[in-house]
Amino acid sequence: MKQKNIDNIIALSNDLRWQIGDEFHDNLAEGIYADAAEIVKGSVHKPNGNKRLRLDAKIDKVLTSKTWGFPLMFLILAVVLWLTIVGANYPSSMLGNLLLDTIHPALKGFASGIGLPWWLDGFLIDGVYLAVAWVIAVMLPPMAIFFPLFTLLEDFGYLPRVAFNLDHLFKLSGAHGKQALTMSMGFGCNAAGVVATRIIDSPRERLIAIITNNFSLCNGRWPTQILIATIFIGAVAPASMAGIASLGAVIGIAVLGICFMFLVSWALSKTVLKGEVSTFNLELPPYRPPRFWKTIYTSIIDRTLIVLWRAIVFAAPAGALIWLISNIYVGDLSLAAWLIQSLDGFGFLLGLNGVILVAYIVAIPANEIVIPTILMLTVLVTGISGGEGAGVMFELESASATGDILRAGGWTLLTAVNLMLFSLLHNPCSTTIYTIYKETKSTKWTVIASILPVILGFIVTFLVAQIWRLF
Amino acid sequence: MNTYNPFNALLIFLGICLLGYLFFRPKHGWFWLIKNNSTTTQKVVAEDILKRLYHNENASNYLNINDVVRILKQDEKMVVESIDKMVTLGWVKMEGDIVRLTKSGSDYALRIIRAHRLWERYLADKTGFNKSEWHQRAERKEHELTIDDTDLLAKTLGNPQFDPHGDPIPTISGKMAKLKGVPVSELNTRTIGRIIHIKDKPDIIYKQIMAENIHIGSIIRIVEKSPERIVFHSEGEAFKLAPIVAGNITVSVLEKDVSYEEDILRLNSLKKDEIGKIIGISKEIRGESRRRLLDLGFVKGADVSIDLLNPLGEPKAYLIKGTSIALRNNQASKILIKK
Amino acid sequence: MEVKPKSGCETCAHFNAAGLKKLGVNTTSFDHIIALAGNPNTGKSTVFNALTGLRQHTGNWPGKTVTRAEGAFEYNNEKYKLVDLPGTYSLLSTSEDEEVARNFILFGKPTVTVIVVDASRLERNLNLVLQILEITDRAVLCLNLMDEAKRNKIEIDSRSLARDLGIPVVPTSARFNQGIPELIQTISEVASGAIVCKPHRIKNIPKNIEKAVEQLSEEIRKEYPDIPNSRWIAFRLLEGDQHIIELLKSGEFEEFMA
Ligand SMILES: Nc1nc2c(ncn2[C@@H]2O[C@H](COP(=O)(O)OP(=O)(O)O)[C@@H](O)[C@H]2O)c(=O)[nH]1
Ligand SMILES: [Mg+2]
Repeated sequence: MKQKNIDNIIALSNDLRWQIGDEFHDNLAEGIYADAAEIVKGSVHKPNGNKRLRLDAKIDKVLTSKTWGFPLMFLILAVVLWLTIVGANYPSSMLGNLLLDTIHPALKGFASGIGLPWWLDGFLIDGVYLAVAWVIAVMLPPMAIFFPLFTLLEDFGYLPRVAFNLDHLFKLSGAHGKQALTMSMGFGCNAAGVVATRIIDSPRERLIAIITNNFSLCNGRWPTQILIATIFIGAVAPASMAGIASLGAVIGIAVLGICFMFLVSWALSKTVLKGEVSTFNLELPPYRPPRFWKTIYTSIIDRTLIVLWRAIVFAAPAGALIWLISNIYVGDLSLAAWLIQSLDGFGFLLGLNGVILVAYIVAIPANEIVIPTILMLTVLVTGISGGEGAGVMFELESASATGDILRAGGWTLLTAVNLMLFSLLHNPCSTTIYTIYKETKSTKWTVIASILPVILGFIVTFLVAQIWRLF
Repeated sequence: MNTYNPFNALLIFLGICLLGYLFFRPKHGWFWLIKNNSTTTQKVVAEDILKRLYHNENASNYLNINDVVRILKQDEKMVVESIDKMVTLGWVKMEGDIVRLTKSGSDYALRIIRAHRLWERYLADKTGFNKSEWHQRAERKEHELTIDDTDLLAKTLGNPQFDPHGDPIPTISGKMAKLKGVPVSELNTRTIGRIIHIKDKPDIIYKQIMAENIHIGSIIRIVEKSPERIVFHSEGEAFKLAPIVAGNITVSVLEKDVSYEEDILRLNSLKKDEIGKIIGISKEIRGESRRRLLDLGFVKGADVSIDLLNPLGEPKAYLIKGTSIALRNNQASKILIKK
Repeated sequence: MEVKPKSGCETCAHFNAAGLKKLGVNTTSFDHIIALAGNPNTGKSTVFNALTGLRQHTGNWPGKTVTRAEGAFEYNNEKYKLVDLPGTYSLLSTSEDEEVARNFILFGKPTVTVIVVDASRLERNLNLVLQILEITDRAVLCLNLMDEAKRNKIEIDSRSLARDLGIPVVPTSARFNQGIPELIQTISEVASGAIVCKPHRIKNIPKNIEKAVEQLSEEIRKEYPDIPNSRWIAFRLLEGDQHIIELLKSGEFEEFMA
């Protein structure tokens, strides 16, 4: 009986829908706005009409002008990066001193004092503790600078203007202007960038934005870029120019990432994603003065917590794993050495080496630990006296000491350049992969988003290596 | 390792790339060729024959086997075999050498047409495929959809009456709304009408109409008619078409007393410091994007002006109901305004 | 039924500062659910933070919040669970990015829906407000960003607005914590039933549609005499909303709407 009535209701609604025709939605929307206008007329008094504030309009004129729009955008990007790189130096070395040079030996001393067995001591202190300490020392300072700066820009209302300025380029590559926003989020963390793609309301452009978000260098990768650029690129430039040269190299990689993002977006929209819907609209909010101190405080506190959490959840097990594979022996080779040897040939073809590839496999959970892993494994295979034993990450108070170890491991300028490229172009970290799966609910797109950048990375490093060696 | 040489490595790489290209390049890649070759089956041929017969019989054209072979551009043997089989199935009957549809044959044909037009509607509403691709895609899809698929599709699309070209979609019971239109080529000057249908065949003419950015729902007014060309005004622009092209556009003539507003423009033609009033959104913007525009305040009667120009020319930001909203030109061109 | 809605100003005197406790993320065992709805970038997260003492990320661009966040506060010994929703322009569309907000307002059964609007863009914000008022009859309008409206020299008569909309209106500047006590007091009064709303219903609809809606909603009321929003269901059915149709067919409808 009830079911019959419900069927009747649905049947009636179908009939009525045919009667009133396809203008229903338009009429309803217009009706609601007409009501709104009546209500507003009764209670709102606007002496200036719907005009925007003079100051707002003026700022917009400059930020989106033909002459100043683009230069200002690059200038702001450069200043943010410069502040991050330069500003992170000092706290980084301080934290390194504290966590690696002071606390680590103390812990070691304490462990031998209470007679901990060597393997437990190695596993916990050399494995778990050192990995966590490294991540904190290297990752925390740049993040604590980058995020507040970024949040200030965000609060001010600048990001939508970037999307507005760049949309035409995105359109040419078949993507959505709001991808500029999700990309910017990706500069902080790719997983956050992927979640932010929800603001893109057309399915095709959203998928493109998800798949290409990985081309925004994330937090876990900035320090790698900065460190390698300082050691190798800065070194070939004259001393007075070293800082500028390494900054230039890092910005170059970031911009290259943006180029790849456009290129891949274009390729995707022309091939696999051809038939998805595409529309564009973007609201430009009024400018609002950011609350300076509050922003700085909350973004530092929040980020610190997130970094610490990640450090413990990802870096600690990875540290333990590294220690294990370098101390478990198969025949007379440790597992790590065996892995490195078998990947060395392929690594050479890419202008990298086995150590780097193994490090990238170990670092799938978190990009932050690539460099410490590389250092540790390099010491393992070269047998130089930098560390304190197999599987131990050790104190590296200065960049030059790191450089010495890497050179001893057979690194050249080519290795450095290709590592920087590979750090830009490789699979997303496991958190991001999981987020992509949650957002797309599709194994196919998750696999594509994960594999595509590595393949690109292989191709690019391969080509660079061959051409480099030709000359 | 000893045989390694960067030059050889590059050569091998290029070789692999070339191979990949040959396999997967659009249209002529080996992969696609192999894939497509295996799809033309007897079912497809039979359904195509039914459809052609239906359209021709509707126009009182009766075809013999040779005509069918010619129109379908299929292998003669295959067509003859198909028709034999269709006779035994009771879909067609032979009257002399004329092939005639039976009742069940014409019902079947209507089902195929329903699937085709619904799929075009789907492509138009729910995907971003270019207009010029709709027909080809629907031509393939119509053979794959079962009756249940088609009904489900109709339901999710809200049982539409017309396909995006303005052709009526047959209902499940085979009913079809009648088009009461006149081709533009037959209108007299000063007639006012609303475009209700644009024929998507032949391809060359359809592409030409698309290139002119003419779409269904626009109101037009004929201003000149000669054997060489037909000129009409619509949405602030003048269109000049050859009669053969104009013949593919059908309009429903509006009553004489409907006042045609000469000054209707498209939003993208608004200049800085001008104020326009929105008249409506073209039918070309459908589904989700139409709803979004309405929600953002692009409703009839709203005032709109340009808020910001773009350093790259596009998108422009429009000030609507107190907020600045950026739209790309292709969308703005489908919002109609009056200065 | 015919209790005249009070405007925010009448209630501020009653605010009991000692009775307020911000509970942060502790959302266990609550008495009322409060939804924060509104257009993007109107300050919902800022209001949320002011009420719960949390630090939801805010940002000056539409789409900053894309997932929903929960928090709680306690006022006069009643616990309120607060849900910060992503911004939405409308409940009529079917777009995915607005799904979280739409579903919660429709099916989350909030005790009170607080609609946060931008005071200097009231007209466009009312589009959503009027839609929400078709669904629920317990709502509070939070007229936020009043400081910006003042800078733009916009004057709003919140009393006549409250009368037209049939729900209490509270002017706030969430960023500066202005108007938040009044907002809390008003929420608690609507939640407890001390204020009874008589929400505005959409009027300017063409005759033929109005007739169809009337006919359909009458049938719906016959079947479900208890639901407050038969008109909205009629709107959705006429639009062909598959989700609602499924709910009706599967018989889960009452559960969701009761
Ligand atoms: N001037 C002013 N700014 C506000 C006020 N409330 C929020 N904001 C700012 O408006 C922006 C958007 O706020 P948010 O809470 O993220 O909005 P949501 O998208 O609705 O959650 C932020 O930059 C806030 O700092 C207010 O009362 N006055
Ligand atoms: Mg928010």
